[in-house]
Amino acid sequence: MMESKQKKQNTTLQQRNYQQLQQKHEIKRPVLKNCIKAFFVGGLICVIGQAVSYFYIYFFNFTEQSVGNPTVATMVFFSMLLTGFGVYDRLGQFGGAGSAVPVTGFGNAVISAAIEHRTEGFVLGVGGNMFKLAGSVILFGVFSAFVVALIKTLLIIWGVL
Amino acid sequence: MVIRYRLILLTCLLVLAACNHNQPGKDSQLALLKTMNPNPVVTDKTKDSDGVDEIKKDVSSLPEIYDVAVVKGKKDTLVVYKVKHLHRFKMKKIEKNINKMLEKKYPKENFTVSSDYKIFLETVRLDERMKSAKFSHREAEKQFKKIVNMTDNKK
Repeated sequence: MMESKQKKQNTTLQQRNYQQLQQKHEIKRPVLKNCIKAFFVGGLICVIGQAVSYFYIYFFNFTEQSVGNPTVATMVFFSMLLTGFGVYDRLGQFGGAGSAVPVTGFGNAVISAAIEHRTEGFVLGVGGNMFKLAGSVILFGVFSAFVVALIKTLLIIWGVL
Repeated sequence: MVIRYRLILLTCLLVLAACNHNQPGKDSQLALLKTMNPNPVVTDKTKDSDGVDEIKKDVSSLPEIYDVAVVKGKKDTLVVYKVKHLHRFKMKKIEKNINKMLEKKYPKENFTVSSDYKIFLETVRLDERMKSAKFSHREAEKQFKKIVNMTDNKK
């Protein structure tokens, strides 16, 4: 807060005028529109996921409890393919968080990083940077799962659950 | 280009719609999506379905549940149900309540209770197969045991 005030004081009159002019002409972010788009794109991905899980329940021997793993694997695989073909990027541009938050966003993060670093070679380029974005997802996912499992174990030992 | 895409889409739709026409559909095809309310099934031919009907009526009376299937085998009785969407957060509690109610009301029966869609689908399929003359009671009992085993694997 103090820093921004100091910055303001350090600027010249001309700079402040320019900032005002810039603020006047700056296009406002359509937050509500983006939220609606994200809602529908995210919802559509989830509907496809539900259809895939029903497919596995109907045609294979998966129960509602065990169908999660093949469904997630299929959805990640599809999003990886679509990222490779350049379709998921367009969907991401349109849907924003709606395409990044579901598990398909994970596949997109892996493959887009791999494509980006392809010119640096397969080992140090693709191999080294593939999990640049998705690595944090895996790390915090595993860590939070460990913490939750620890809490559950303690609650079971104490007889709460 | 756009017109060509629309034409291809329209042709696909027409072809698919034509293929679907007058095909004999099984009830189990939509068992995951709509309310089926299947008839209670008894795999043991020496037993009648009166008791099973009552079990179904008792479980259906719960407000959180909307579709119930009951299968009675030689030893076990399988009760499968679908839970209304907004009540799915309390699945464990509902299962506990049903178990309690059934054990209290029918102390001699050995119940297996499940809310799994796969188990429900398999019970509807079993009901359909029972209707055909080729499917014997022995085969039905075998299939019933398979379904009960599926609920054990789930846990």
